[in-house]
Amino acid sequence: MRAAAVRVRRALAMRSYDGLFRAAVWVLGVLLLVTLAGPFVGVGGQPDAIVGPRLMPPGAGWPLGTDNLGRSLLPRLLQGIGTTLLLSCLAVACTALISTALGVIAGYRGGRTAEVILRIGDVLYSFPAIVLAVLVAAVLGPGRTAALAAIVLVTVPLMTRMVGTAARAVARREFVTAARISGVRAPTIMLRHILPNVAGTVAVQGTYALSVGILVEGGLSFLGYGVQLPDASLGLLIQEGGLYMVGAPWLIVAPGVVLVAAIMAINLVGDSLRDRFEPRETRSLV
Amino acid sequence: MTAETTPLLVIDDVVAEYRTGSRVVRALDGADLTVGRGERVGIVGESGSGKSTLGLLTGRLLPKATAYPRGRVLVDGESVLDLPPDRLARLRRERLAFVPQDPVGALDPTLRIGRQLRLALRDKPTDLVALLERVLIRDPERVLRLYPHEISGGMAQRVIVAMAMARRPALLIADEPTAALDSQVREEVLRLLFTLAAEHGTTVLWLSHDLGGVARWCDRIAVMYGGRVVEDGTTTDVLTAPQHPYTAALSAADPARAKDGTRLLTIGGTPPVLTESTPGCVFCPRCTSADDTCATARPAPRTVEGRTVLCHHPGPGGTPVPVPDGPAPKAAVPDGQEEA
Amino acid sequence: MDHIRWLLGRTAAALLTLLGVSVLIFAAVRAMPGSYTDLVLGPLATRSEKAAAAARFGLDRPVVEQYLYWLRNAVQGDFGTSLAARTPVATEFGDRLPVTVTLTALALALTVLIGIPLGVYTGTREGGGRGGAAGRLVSAFGMSLPEFVLGSLVVFLFTRYSLGLSVGTYVPWSQDPLGSVGSLFLPACVLAVFCVAATARTTRDAVLGVLVEPHIAAAVARGEPKGAIVRHHVLRNAAVPVLTLVATLTAYLLGGTVIIERLFNVPGLGSYLVDGLDRRDYAVVQAGVLLAAAVFITMNLLVDLVSGLVDPRIGTVGKRADA
Repeated sequence: MRAAAVRVRRALAMRSYDGLFRAAVWVLGVLLLVTLAGPFVGVGGQPDAIVGPRLMPPGAGWPLGTDNLGRSLLPRLLQGIGTTLLLSCLAVACTALISTALGVIAGYRGGRTAEVILRIGDVLYSFPAIVLAVLVAAVLGPGRTAALAAIVLVTVPLMTRMVGTAARAVARREFVTAARISGVRAPTIMLRHILPNVAGTVAVQGTYALSVGILVEGGLSFLGYGVQLPDASLGLLIQEGGLYMVGAPWLIVAPGVVLVAAIMAINLVGDSLRDRFEPRETRSLV
Repeated sequence: MTAETTPLLVIDDVVAEYRTGSRVVRALDGADLTVGRGERVGIVGESGSGKSTLGLLTGRLLPKATAYPRGRVLVDGESVLDLPPDRLARLRRERLAFVPQDPVGALDPTLRIGRQLRLALRDKPTDLVALLERVLIRDPERVLRLYPHEISGGMAQRVIVAMAMARRPALLIADEPTAALDSQVREEVLRLLFTLAAEHGTTVLWLSHDLGGVARWCDRIAVMYGGRVVEDGTTTDVLTAPQHPYTAALSAADPARAKDGTRLLTIGGTPPVLTESTPGCVFCPRCTSADDTCATARPAPRTVEGRTVLCHHPGPGGTPVPVPDGPAPKAAVPDGQEEA
Repeated sequence: MDHIRWLLGRTAAALLTLLGVSVLIFAAVRAMPGSYTDLVLGPLATRSEKAAAAARFGLDRPVVEQYLYWLRNAVQGDFGTSLAARTPVATEFGDRLPVTVTLTALALALTVLIGIPLGVYTGTREGGGRGGAAGRLVSAFGMSLPEFVLGSLVVFLFTRYSLGLSVGTYVPWSQDPLGSVGSLFLPACVLAVFCVAATARTTRDAVLGVLVEPHIAAAVARGEPKGAIVRHHVLRNAAVPVLTLVATLTAYLLGGTVIIERLFNVPGLGSYLVDGLDRRDYAVVQAGVLLAAAVFITMNLLVDLVSGLVDPRIGTVGKRADA
């Protein structure tokens, strides 16, 4: 575990990354800060307070304009970012936990166990993400729980497969064989030897899963199966904004820009982590 | 100067550095080598001595990140480091040929052998069956239809040799061509390579760990250490009466040449990874006959007993360090990867 | 021989996966709140009316029996009757399938025709420096544009400023084939943006991965020109990950049509499916999801087949195939 921590820390050491990565981390940092601090400082006022006329363009009392009920968009946007990020992060944490456990077991045990785990993953993976998400939401009833469960079910198969492949490669290495021969018990091997060596894959895939999670939440809320009013999420705000798009385009632009920026920042972070954990030799001659 | 009198290959005081990020590794540190037409030169040295770099340098095949702060490389009078890409490609195509360590990896895994050969020789129509027969492949029609992963390493290396020799290159660079092969087929591949080279009048540069093999097949030997050629002369001279302490140590550490029942000698310490020019002799820290001069002054090439030596104190005096009471003796020249 | 056995194994696995999908769909639809009979008869129905309706739809049978009945009919192309429209689902599918297929195929064509050349181009040029960063930024941007955001934007721009292409008016194939494709062009473009970016990136990564292989170094050492190396030795070797991605993207596209068809008012399978879900139209949902999964599984099988042809090692070395 400590080896993993060291590796992750080394990979996260900022100064060895390029500008793009740093910019992405900044974007995420600002989003997080705004979300966490916004409500306390009272940026933009109460999300449910009616502050002015309906569908006003950005102005003094409502920095990002007002919505169809005359509420200021800014506090609702902050609330929406918070909901979306929280939901996605929570869901990806669940995914990481499930996928890492299943992937390590499948990779270490191989054979029948791996076959069963991966086959079930294949079944889930065969559903188009948004279709699976909508199906989950239809069963559980629209809302936060549905969105959470949908993100987990959508992201688990791919991550399990990736962690499983990585774990398989580690399980074939000599030090694992050595540990097995010297009588170390299987759970200990998985925890001590396999897990630290797949930590990088988990970090990379977890990052990508986070961006998928945000997309799924957005799509789900957009179709009306995700977070419900009067709550706010980025997808819901975009869906709402879409209705008044022609008269009040700012209602869709602000949440749209934030959503795209967040996903892009997360993807860029994922790319950098991947380059770090799965480096490609730069020896090309051509 | 006519083409006949120009040496085929001149490597003149070349410094080559791999630069990755802020890290600099100096793979060649003022290497010199001149090879005449038709010569067969064995280049020996430990892993990391710069052998492979030297071989690749001949065709400017080092990674793009490599810098050459100093020196020049001439093949047939053409300055390899200054050629524009199209002429460089022509030089590689018409004059040079490389035989790599891992023959299976050097073949495109997605194409049948026949198709690869046809592609490689598309501007030079060749009877592929005859080509493979010349490298002693039985049933060439069948082999032409196979994929690289379906043939053995020895077979793959013959295909590579056939591909390399089909163009009758002026210079063949073989980088440990037998390292990945079973011991039975090693000698066969070597025989094939040197016989074909002799037929075509091809000059051979053989980068090797195998001192015995070099003694059998080459008329000249160049010993490399720390990115320089430290001793260079006829095989018999250099191997029977080494003048550089490193050559002496290397030759004493060759397991193939050790007498039965005697303890194998190793060279104490490990070869250096250079990051910049060393002030003194690179071998100094491992040398038994080193003195103050060796630590401070870079040895210049000098001619001793009919060969070139890079040593302040040349002579048969350099005795290898015997192993004290170590565990199992191990060869100081392990097979393995060259420098990254 | 090995290859055929491997392929048979893959086919069997695909069928097994499809079976799993069918079980899952069936179970999910049964688990949805609100019983079928309530929806058919409305809240005021009496108990005996409900029982009669349940018997009529076979809902009083054991679930396993219901499942097997549904599966047998589905295999024969009978997906039941839509509750809302009172029409056979299969008939409706027949009308809507060409629309979604055209939409998806258009998007896929754009993806392949733009994404792959772009990836090869950026992969074979020098990656580092400012150009590389710009390329990364553009592809990351493309991959971060959800279709509901981009689609909304496009709909807005085209309706607000009437930019020529019609938005939200679908022209049926039978009326005007060219106009039909034209009316699907815009939604296809929106769908394709993510796919183009993803394909370009994967292609670039695959190309870069091949370029460091020793057989490329060998080709360079033989003095082969760069163009020939790329054509003969790089493309084929880089093909497998790209093919795999294209199969995955098909699923993405099918999912994407759910949102895009609703946004652009396209009468395809995607909108049919979501409408079906909204109305708890069991037969429609079951059939729609099963079809989407079947397409995805078939695409993957096809990719396996093609990969085996492109890279002869696949299927013979056994372990490589599942890596």
